Amino acid sequence: MTSCERRAPAPDDAVQGCMPRAVYEPSTIDEACAALEDLSRQEHACVFVGGGTKLGLGAAPTRLDAVVRTRKLARIVEYSPSDQVVSVEAGVTLGALQDRLAQDRQRLSLDAPWPARATLGGIIAANSFGPLRARCGAVRDLILGVSLVRADGVLAKGGGKVVKNVAGFDLPKLACGSLGTLGMIAAATLRVHPLPESTEVRVVRDLRAEGVPALIEALRVAQLEPVALLARRAHGTRRFDVALVFEGFGAGVTEQVARLGTIASVDALDAESASLFAHHRSAREGAILRVKIAALATDLFAVETALAPLSRLFPTAELAWYPTLGIGFFSVPSADALALDDATHAAATVAALASARRELAARRGSLTLETMPDGLRGRLEPWSAPTSIRLHQAVKSRLDPEGRLAPGRFVGGI
Amino acid sequence: MTSVEQPLERPGGTAGEPEVRSAPAPESVTRKLIAAVGERWVIREPEQLRTYEADGLASYRVRPGVVVLPATTDEVAACMRIAYEAGLNVVARGSGTGLSGGALPTPGCVLVGLSRMKRILEVDLANAFVRVEPGVINLDVSKRVGPGGWYYAPDPSSQSVCSIGGNVAENSGGAHCLKYGFTVNHVLGVKMVLADGSIVELGGPVMDEAGYDLLGVVVGSEGLLGIVTEVTLKILRKPEATRTFFATFASTTDAGNAVSAIIAAGILPAAIEMMDRLAIVAAKAATGLDWPDVAAALLVDVDGPLAECEHTSARAIELCTRAGSIAIRVPKDAADRELMWKGRKSAFAAVGRISRDYMVQDGVIPRSEIGTVLQEIAELATKSGLRIANVFHAGDGNLHPLVLFDARVPGETARAEEVSGDILRICLRYGGSITGEHGVGHDKAPYMAEMFTEADLDTMGKLRCAFDPDNLLNPGKVFPTPRLCGDRPGLYRPHATELSGDADRG
Repeated sequence: MTSCERRAPAPDDAVQGCMPRAVYEPSTIDEACAALEDLSRQEHACVFVGGGTKLGLGAAPTRLDAVVRTRKLARIVEYSPSDQVVSVEAGVTLGALQDRLAQDRQRLSLDAPWPARATLGGIIAANSFGPLRARCGAVRDLILGVSLVRADGVLAKGGGKVVKNVAGFDLPKLACGSLGTLGMIAAATLRVHPLPESTEVRVVRDLRAEGVPALIEALRVAQLEPVALLARRAHGTRRFDVALVFEGFGAGVTEQVARLGTIASVDALDAESASLFAHHRSAREGAILRVKIAALATDLFAVETALAPLSRLFPTAELAWYPTLGIGFFSVPSADALALDDATHAAATVAALASARRELAARRGSLTLETMPDGLRGRLEPWSAPTSIRLHQAVKSRLDPEGRLAPGRFVGGI
Repeated sequence: MTSVEQPLERPGGTAGEPEVRSAPAPESVTRKLIAAVGERWVIREPEQLRTYEADGLASYRVRPGVVVLPATTDEVAACMRIAYEAGLNVVARGSGTGLSGGALPTPGCVLVGLSRMKRILEVDLANAFVRVEPGVINLDVSKRVGPGGWYYAPDPSSQSVCSIGGNVAENSGGAHCLKYGFTVNHVLGVKMVLADGSIVELGGPVMDEAGYDLLGVVVGSEGLLGIVTEVTLKILRKPEATRTFFATFASTTDAGNAVSAIIAAGILPAAIEMMDRLAIVAAKAATGLDWPDVAAALLVDVDGPLAECEHTSARAIELCTRAGSIAIRVPKDAADRELMWKGRKSAFAAVGRISRDYMVQDGVIPRSEIGTVLQEIAELATKSGLRIANVFHAGDGNLHPLVLFDARVPGETARAEEVSGDILRICLRYGGSITGEHGVGHDKAPYMAEMFTEADLDTMGKLRCAFDPDNLLNPGKVFPTPRLCGDRPGLYRPHATELSGDADRG
């Protein structure tokens, strides 16, 4: 019978300050099942860790006996370029997968942060995404199949290996954003796309908050189809620069870019986008406090207003906003960490976050704390609770009846 | 097996004399339902109940105990509560066009028809969504937002009659899934009533509501998890240009190779549909189209910004030519294009012109295997002596083989069922699925155990138990064997070490 070795924890095995007693590193899916069975027998609680880039998301586990690391589950199991489908184990990093796919001129149309570290399992569990989501969807729109190791060590599969399939309940989508609370994502099958022949980026500079939805409207009227859109409000300003990414065949891309210059609300186009993307990257990867905001796309002005008290507390914070998705990230760079050590400042921060959450909720929006310093942890719920929380609890208790998978990490204390 | 009756000619019967079981709902339940929705909307008369005995898959017929037609979410909730308290099964029904028996009643069930809930509740073009009731017809969404230059992308062939609620239940597809995805990719939120009559909202026009993607689970759950009473749909701006062409081939293998070549060139057409000779003959007979008598044809749509679209359509045509296309037709105007698509979309019904009875399958295969699988299907046809027409979404490998038979010939129905089952097994052997868009329903439930392991089905069953612990909703669908939920697990209780403060916290 397969077993999975356990080892003593190292300092970097801690999850939000909680140190496990043991670490499992399965190198096959059979070993992963054995690890979960082992934990089940001992009634031990565990957290699954991929690249560790999203461990700040959610609350600290209320109980932690073991960490199960997926990094040795790093095989690309099956890749069929002509079917544009790839099956990977959970520990494959996004970067490694993209390198392999690029050899066949394809890609996973998902540009999540930390590609060199973030694993597919982690990306699925955390519903991680980047600007390409505007056109290509989130991981839920790209996942075709999943292998989940349940709390009792049983391997369950959902979905399949073909791009179109409605047989059975959609376990792959259930896995998306579940933060390791329903089972261990051991492997997944994903739809991939051809690499574009041509890519062009243009930046529309200096728009007011109201100007961003107006630009989107103008693009729609002109029937232009950028694949990714990214707005950045630099610290200390109330102006947005908006990057538009066009992809496709050469002729089509050139024509779209040319036409972009003629639409009403665009004064000037800038082909220089490197610094905007660099700032975007550090806002998504490097902040000490990062808050995810979701609102109607037309509500950007209201989002700014809701965030105003926070912006005053953190003058160096940046706002990255995906203007067609209605999702943004308010990121406080590490340099502002000192301010948070001040107790008064920390209390004001909590109050500002709570008021922003209330204002957004009043407009059907939400606020999620994605990364926060220790001083704030535990002082504010990481999530805006969904109204269907009882149904969430029922799903959790059916799939993990003993509450041993990432206990307390998820919404409503799940 | 999915057997579709001929439209018009023989309404209300096919494949011999089907069994109709009858068990009227208890009088006390009927009385309560009348109090909830009004006498006019509670149907009890056997003659009137006949309409609800089957959905688009007319070979299975079961008379419901009572049919109720609520008009609001609250009325649906009241009906569900009444059924829940009486321990009766509930089956939801939209337009009744489903092809897998997903809306097949169970004996004595309360059948909830959503056809009265057809209001469009909210249209927000600036944020690209609409909120509708489940009885709204698919095409009516596009009609409503069309004048502003928008449309709703999922377009099942039945889109002029099928309802959004039914689309949500089945995760309906359509010809343009290849580029635009399925219903699940276009549903932003739902309001739904659970088995016990409670109302929940999942998702909404704002993305990334915290919590599990229960919305993604509900879409395509075939009426087993609840009844959706409001749906928020993503709408899309119409593309600047669409280019359509029709390419004929000397063999399905050539046509399959053309599909592979187009995809390999990095082109993502909006749709690539394939028809074989028999399907072309049927479509011609039904629509009077002047299509040639060829072994295979592709109907291709590319869309997007004008220059991109021109480039990709020219390139796709070139690739078809290189793959041996006999002739390529480009529609001369919008009306001509519409006619071509009408030929494709009416293909199922058209087969009724050339065969007394037929069964339609919905298996999926990796698209690179199209040529090989079609060969195997052709061999099955030869071996069984039955004709098989193929109409399908070639771009995503979603086959729709139509097995033609005559139910009056003794043994032929059974043979057709056997052939249909063998086709699904071929799909599974190539790593595919038993259903791409029609749903498992009653029809394909027995094949679920061939596609999934007991552990897979058990896990899906646990999910169902979270929504409907008494298994009251739409029993007999999706799962091959009935399964009970067992005790409801208690709410999470903290572990002893946690309470004693032993848990490590560094």
